[in-house]
Amino acid sequence: MARPAPMRQLPQIAHVDVNCFYASAERAFNPALEGRPVVVLSNNDGCAVTRSPEAKRLGIALGEPWFKLAPRAREWGLVALSSNYELYGDISARVMELLGRFSAWLEVYSIDEAFLGVKGTPAELLELGGQMKTAVRRNVGVPVCVGIAPTKTLAKLANKWAKNNPAFDGVCHWESVPAAARERLMRSLSVIEIWGVATRLTKRLNALGIYSILDLARADPVMIRDRFSVVMMRTVLELQGTPCIPLEEERIGRDQLIFSRSFSAPLTSAAGFRQVLSVYGQQASARLSRHGLQAKLLTAFAGTSHFNARDVSFPTVSVVLPMPTADPVILTRAAHALLPRIVDGVKYAKAGIMVTDLRPTGNQAPLSPFENPHEERHIGSLVEDITRRYGRGSIGLGFGGIRGGPDWSMRRDMLSPRYTTHWDELPLVKAA
Amino acid sequence: MGAIIGPRVIDAGTSLLSVLISPVPVAAGYPSPAQDYFDGRIDLNEHLIKDITSTYVVRVSGDSMEGAGISDGDELIVNRALTPVDGSVVVAVLDGELTIKRLRITRNGVVLQAENLAYPDIRVPSLSELVVWGVATRCLHVV
Repeated sequence: MARPAPMRQLPQIAHVDVNCFYASAERAFNPALEGRPVVVLSNNDGCAVTRSPEAKRLGIALGEPWFKLAPRAREWGLVALSSNYELYGDISARVMELLGRFSAWLEVYSIDEAFLGVKGTPAELLELGGQMKTAVRRNVGVPVCVGIAPTKTLAKLANKWAKNNPAFDGVCHWESVPAAARERLMRSLSVIEIWGVATRLTKRLNALGIYSILDLARADPVMIRDRFSVVMMRTVLELQGTPCIPLEEERIGRDQLIFSRSFSAPLTSAAGFRQVLSVYGQQASARLSRHGLQAKLLTAFAGTSHFNARDVSFPTVSVVLPMPTADPVILTRAAHALLPRIVDGVKYAKAGIMVTDLRPTGNQAPLSPFENPHEERHIGSLVEDITRRYGRGSIGLGFGGIRGGPDWSMRRDMLSPRYTTHWDELPLVKAA
Repeated sequence: MGAIIGPRVIDAGTSLLSVLISPVPVAAGYPSPAQDYFDGRIDLNEHLIKDITSTYVVRVSGDSMEGAGISDGDELIVNRALTPVDGSVVVAVLDGELTIKRLRITRNGVVLQAENLAYPDIRVPSLSELVVWGVATRCLHVV
């Protein structure tokens, strides 16, 4: 008896990302924003970093400064919102947790996108993509598109296609599309549209007669490696369907944590920096303990604005910590090593700290004389508990103990409620 | 007892960190006879939240659901993943607002009811035109 031919079940990559993530997260809790042009502004309400499709149709460019948009906002019916990082962070975590149920093989690539390893026949893969899309929309409340292909690069391209062509209904399985249609798409898109090709390289690619994605896909990988780099060669191979960029389940970002912000008003004194760095030290501590990590190295840095040609100053200092630690006291003290390098009177526009060389907590017990005296007192978790219960800024160590909002903190004048992370800012439902 | 640890500061002349160590006490004594029976305290999250990805907490504003034991200022646990059925207390989107109602699906049509005689029923032409944001599963009421 003839058995049916085995179905092709090669592993494939699904790329899932949230449509206009920040704007969609806002809409999930404020349905009145549905159908209206919405922009979400960057730190300090600087410029538009997310635009709803309606805002794009108004011709608002990515990165357009708010001060230029503000005069016309009323006429357009444009809603501008400050970045609600608390909300976006939680929505992102929900999306990723949900996606993780579809595949044990998940790489969180950024706040709003992930790669998943998937298997199945083309029909099964399309079905799976549809399930992911429906589940995220329904459970979490934000819309996603899904691209599925043999490689990451093609999966990203398929996703972009799904987003821009309504016929896909949000899910594109690359190999289910007729080859001629795929070629047409790749011919119509410039090489800069492909993931991993830097804009600055387009001129050099053009010089070789490579303009479209299809040109690049048909290029000789070896020639590309010799003329450009291995990285570019991988992109070519990936476009040809050979997987070269593996899924990284451990995020690269896990090796380091960076806390950095631009100030709403410039800082000009070491005293101001003492406070800023204390806050970062404590944020780093909280994040490390949440992930069960300790850091071995801390780098603190500050910088003047790139738009300010006078008084340029970019001080930086790296401190090897006495033992791997997540202790806020030690991290804060280490960050203060930057203070002697702050030039009084110079207008600093940003500062930050980075903790690196991270390792899991409690991997190896330090010899007792090297034990951290603070860890025992659980200051880090205490500060985190109180912060969670009473809000950011309700408790802090030393100069990080900030009441009444210091003047350097981020400006977020158009902030929506932190609906899912703060008990006193829950979404209101009308009973009327 | 104590030791001072001098950390190394890369690219800076002086040692800026110093940490004073104190001895750490070691716990000793008889184990509690109850400890073998302890398997964790009651965790409300575990009982009230079926799926953390789809569950949100919202706050009620208004008295139209008094009859269902849902008062002004109460918190509701809302699961977005549940399929609303006849009799569900739902958060529905009405005129761009999240609104709490009792959903009635009958042969005569779909109705959003208040649980308070002061508020009229709202007829919905069909279920497909109704946007249900989530289904309320619990009410947290201060007694």
